[in-house]
Amino acid sequence: MPPDAHEMRDEPPPFLGRWPRVYAAVIIYLGLLIALCYIFTRAFS
Amino acid sequence: MRPLDWVVLVGSLVSIIAYGLYRGRGSNTVDRYLLAGKSMPWYAMALSIMATQASAITFISTTGQSYVDGMRFVQFYFGMPLAMVVLSATAVPIFHRAKVYTAYEYLENRFDAKTRALASVIFLMQRGLSVGLTFYAPAIVLSVIFGWPDRLTTLIIGVTVVIYTVTGGIRTITWTDVQQMLIILFGLLVALVMILWMLPRQVSILDAIHLAGAAGKLNAVTFHFDWNDRYNLWSGLIGGMFLALSYFGCDQSQVQRYLTGKSIAQSKLSLLFTAMAKIPMQFFILFIGAMVFVFYIFEPAPMVFQRAEYERIQRPEMRARYDPIAARYQDAIARRKTEALAIVEARHAHDPRAENEAMFRYRSAQRDVDTARLEGAHLVAATGGEKGFRDTNYIFLSFVTRYLPAGIVGLVIAVILAATMSSSSGEINSLATVSVVDIYKRHFRKDASDRHYLAASRLATAFWGAYAVAFSGFGKNLGSLIEAVNIVGSLFYGSLLGVFVLAFFFKRVTGTGAFVGLLAGEAAIFAAFLFTGISFLWYNVIGCVVVIAAGMAVSYATRRRALPLTI
Repeated sequence: MPPDAHEMRDEPPPFLGRWPRVYAAVIIYLGLLIALCYIFTRAFS
Repeated sequence: MRPLDWVVLVGSLVSIIAYGLYRGRGSNTVDRYLLAGKSMPWYAMALSIMATQASAITFISTTGQSYVDGMRFVQFYFGMPLAMVVLSATAVPIFHRAKVYTAYEYLENRFDAKTRALASVIFLMQRGLSVGLTFYAPAIVLSVIFGWPDRLTTLIIGVTVVIYTVTGGIRTITWTDVQQMLIILFGLLVALVMILWMLPRQVSILDAIHLAGAAGKLNAVTFHFDWNDRYNLWSGLIGGMFLALSYFGCDQSQVQRYLTGKSIAQSKLSLLFTAMAKIPMQFFILFIGAMVFVFYIFEPAPMVFQRAEYERIQRPEMRARYDPIAARYQDAIARRKTEALAIVEARHAHDPRAENEAMFRYRSAQRDVDTARLEGAHLVAATGGEKGFRDTNYIFLSFVTRYLPAGIVGLVIAVILAATMSSSSGEINSLATVSVVDIYKRHFRKDASDRHYLAASRLATAFWGAYAVAFSGFGKNLGSLIEAVNIVGSLFYGSLLGVFVLAFFFKRVTGTGAFVGLLAGEAAIFAAFLFTGISFLWYNVIGCVVVIAAGMAVSYATRRRALPLTI
């Protein structure tokens, strides 16, 4: 095991306050990307 | 290669290696050598993770994939953000708090030594095969440019990588990746600008996008569900999520990256940033491939992009079979060019009827081009070439070396070689870590000094470098390299994921249950691979589900047997 000197801290995220909100933002972002890809496919195929 | 290309190539490589070694100085303990002393910031880890994935294979093969099959490969990455969220909430804090060097070390804490050993061996087999493919990609580059034998090229690159990896450890690898990622993005941008700039004057960017779309190259999303279809929305979201969960949660080459983080939050941020950046980046790379396709509508595209094979099937003794195919191909590409220009003209004249008519003829010509290319590939395979010959990996490089100006060619080659060196060095480093920590230290030499294990790590690094070079020829017969890497990974990842899911979420599962479940999962995946036509993305789901089911069943049965009988 690595030395105990590396005690791990689980800090809050630097934005949005809490980790669940950051996770939700990532999932919403994924939905937007898929929607954009779909629009792109429809527009040019 | 012109003198300016050599200057750019050599200058880029020397600066990358020098910078990496400079940042990696002081890696003189096992903790610093394997985990960078847990000092890395999130952005360095994120760019390092992305650079490892954006290897030469990505650059060479994905663009060719798009040229041949369109952009639907991007769906493969749709599951990644979901996986990163799950891993940030579970694996990252668990691994960090367990204070482990490897993911498999955690399995002994949770289950037993045999489960840890089996998982380690599965990883070593899988990653050992993949690292060979990573080496093979740049060998293609140099064989196309210089005509050097693949094996010699692989050996030269392999020796260079081993020396550089043995010296610097993971800190060197991470910082080198950061620098490479910036060069890769710059190189990609320059390549796209050059392609668009070299299109005929009357063809605008929007026209080019329309021509690519009309030929079916911009099919970024397909909703149609088919178990045997590799890339659709559902296989991407579900299969892709399982593959990403396995890759980032159970593959030491990635786990080791975020174990170097200075805090749990920094490691989480690195994964989430990767999740957000990966899909746009892959879209961008695939789009470049689609634009190369448009470029070749107006320039003479070779029927076969691998020059040596193309020249071979044009020899006098082959002419009887080659000439009819070549004639059909030349006729088809001439018709395609004419109709593409007709589409552009009709668009500029705002004449939808003429555009539709030209579009119909353009698509027909494209189908004839595809058919003739397929016949050409069959001719290569039937006359002594590789079995199942495909030239996907040669398309982008053929374009780069033939059309890009002096300096840019050197930059692109530098990006490809540097990406290979860094990707493979990270893989070799993780293989060495598992060999030393999970096998050697655990089973052969438990109480040696830190200096001894550091030397063992360096020796293991050299061994895995040699192993990778020996297996690099495996990539030759696997078609698109990017697919080959993912297929090899999918044969092992699902069951590894299953055992970690058991460890994290099923408190009542025993070590024996996990061990048997792991074996059952591997058996199920290989059965699916050998006896069904199920797409490889689903192997991860199958393996994971079988491991969980078998692990729970065996744990339940063995616990019942262990309970004392009461009357």
